[in-house]
Amino acid sequence: MSSKDRVPLFPSRLNLMLMKNRLKGAQKGHSLLKKKADALTMRFRQILRKIIEAKMTMGDVMKEAAFSLAEARFTAGDINSLVLQNVNKAQTKVALKKENVAGVILTTFDYMAEGEDTYELTGLGKGGQQVARLRKNYIKAVQLLVQLASLQTSFIILDEVIKITNRRVNAIEHVIIPKLERTIVYIVTELDEGEREEFYRLKKIQAKKKKLRIQAEEDRKMLKMEAGVKNLLNEVDEDLLFGN
Amino acid sequence: MGGGMSGPSFNIDNGYLEGLIRGFKNGILTRNDYLNLVQCETLEDLKVHLQSTDYGSFLANEPGPLSVSVIDDKLRNKLVLEFQHIRNQSVEPLSTFLDYITYSYMIDNIVLLITGTLHQRSISELAAKCHPLGIFEQMEAIGAVSTPAELYNTIIVDTPLAPFFLDCIFVQDLDEMNIEIIRNTLYKNYLEEFHNFCQQIGGITADVMCEILAFEADRRAIIITINSFGTELTKDDRSKLYPCCGKLHPEGLSALARSDDYDQVRAVADYYAEYKVLFEGAGNNPGDKTLEDKLFEHEVKLNVFSFLQQFHFGVFYSFIKLKEQEIRNIIWISECVAQRHRTKIDNYIPIF
Repeated sequence: MSSKDRVPLFPSRLNLMLMKNRLKGAQKGHSLLKKKADALTMRFRQILRKIIEAKMTMGDVMKEAAFSLAEARFTAGDINSLVLQNVNKAQTKVALKKENVAGVILTTFDYMAEGEDTYELTGLGKGGQQVARLRKNYIKAVQLLVQLASLQTSFIILDEVIKITNRRVNAIEHVIIPKLERTIVYIVTELDEGEREEFYRLKKIQAKKKKLRIQAEEDRKMLKMEAGVKNLLNEVDEDLLFGN
Repeated sequence: MGGGMSGPSFNIDNGYLEGLIRGFKNGILTRNDYLNLVQCETLEDLKVHLQSTDYGSFLANEPGPLSVSVIDDKLRNKLVLEFQHIRNQSVEPLSTFLDYITYSYMIDNIVLLITGTLHQRSISELAAKCHPLGIFEQMEAIGAVSTPAELYNTIIVDTPLAPFFLDCIFVQDLDEMNIEIIRNTLYKNYLEEFHNFCQQIGGITADVMCEILAFEADRRAIIITINSFGTELTKDDRSKLYPCCGKLHPEGLSALARSDDYDQVRAVADYYAEYKVLFEGAGNNPGDKTLEDKLFEHEVKLNVFSFLQQFHFGVFYSFIKLKEQEIRNIIWISECVAQRHRTKIDNYIPIF
């Protein structure tokens, strides 16, 4: 596209006003979008920081949880198969919530524990304390995982939206506004030119009229000087009817 | 019955096996072996160190990278092989004694099967997860069963575990009772039966085994009490799970049944000299041994003492228990090595 692109319009004053309004609208839109992009970017950076923190603690928490599994196995024997067989309904659930940030809907996950504890008595004979600690550690790990998951989904959604918004901001800034400005400049130049033409035509006509007037003036003067002043009453004309 | 046979008459039937057991006992890992294992950096190092012990090259043919569960399986298989060899060679009354040892594994297996049928799992996967020492012949017939009551009526009545069910578990209750309560009730009955059997045998066996079983009974009572704080287990239900063949019976058990927290349990234990010592060093802070660890240590000590006497069946029981503890120790060390979490790697229970 040539950089001389402009909106194809008839250059009139009405269109000039329309274009000026459009330009104002575009500038307002640009500043609003920029504000939105800034707010989203700030939120984005916050989320990024939280993700980094969560991932660091995740390593430790998982290690702790796996180790407490080893401890429980040492004392309570192999409870793995028994626990697996006893599974009934999920006791740990994830609730979905929506949050609105600068017009963007972000989904967050919340950890929910419900239902009674079917594993309360596991390890009653031996290793009960280790099993209890194991459950606590793994619940912590799952909570952290849920938090991390919700942070990561918001991260991805925000990323997408920020890219789109920035694209729009740049488009307005580098394409739309210059186009409108060029159109306005064009209209203004055309109007100016038209005015100049008008002016020139007027001037030319004036000049011509002046010349004609001067010429007429001269002719009259010349005639006056040639003939002197004649008295009409002294003149005797031939009698047309009874002429001799 | 010839259980009281002392001296030479014991060796007629059981000499070979006692010799074999003592041979196996000499192969149990010593402190030096554990020190070597603790210094390993990877599971491969561990395998190399185990090769120089009695375990030999039991891991030699494993394909792929070593994992802790593979080591666990192989260790257990070795123990099962040794036990089955001894069982196959034994005669009465040793064979019944050895059967009693397997009943505790059978209890675990049955509990697993009951839970599985309650939730409609396929039998073949359940059978694969059963402990090999606790397999009984009727296990294959379980495919046709769909509720625990049916399981009891068709299968369990034929196993040697039927008497343990009889006394206190009614068939209809099986469906509703919490699986842990079933397990602990069965185990209580099992311990009491075993205790009676050993007393019947009499002689040195009775001395040694009753001491060990009494400790086991008391240990279970204490642990069940401590673990039931804060759960929905009522005091009555709890006292039904206490085995009666220990030193705590009857006053200690009734005191335990009334206690509400850890300190009261400790106060009860303070009346008995050996148990008072156990509670003293135990605590939940990092760096302390937990109560369970101290109980394990005491059990190991009792089992080691049983080898000091000759001509009794206790050595067979002690050998199995010590080997199990050794397997637990090796797995613990392997987990610490595999997860690179070395702070607690010395928490194994040394045996010799």
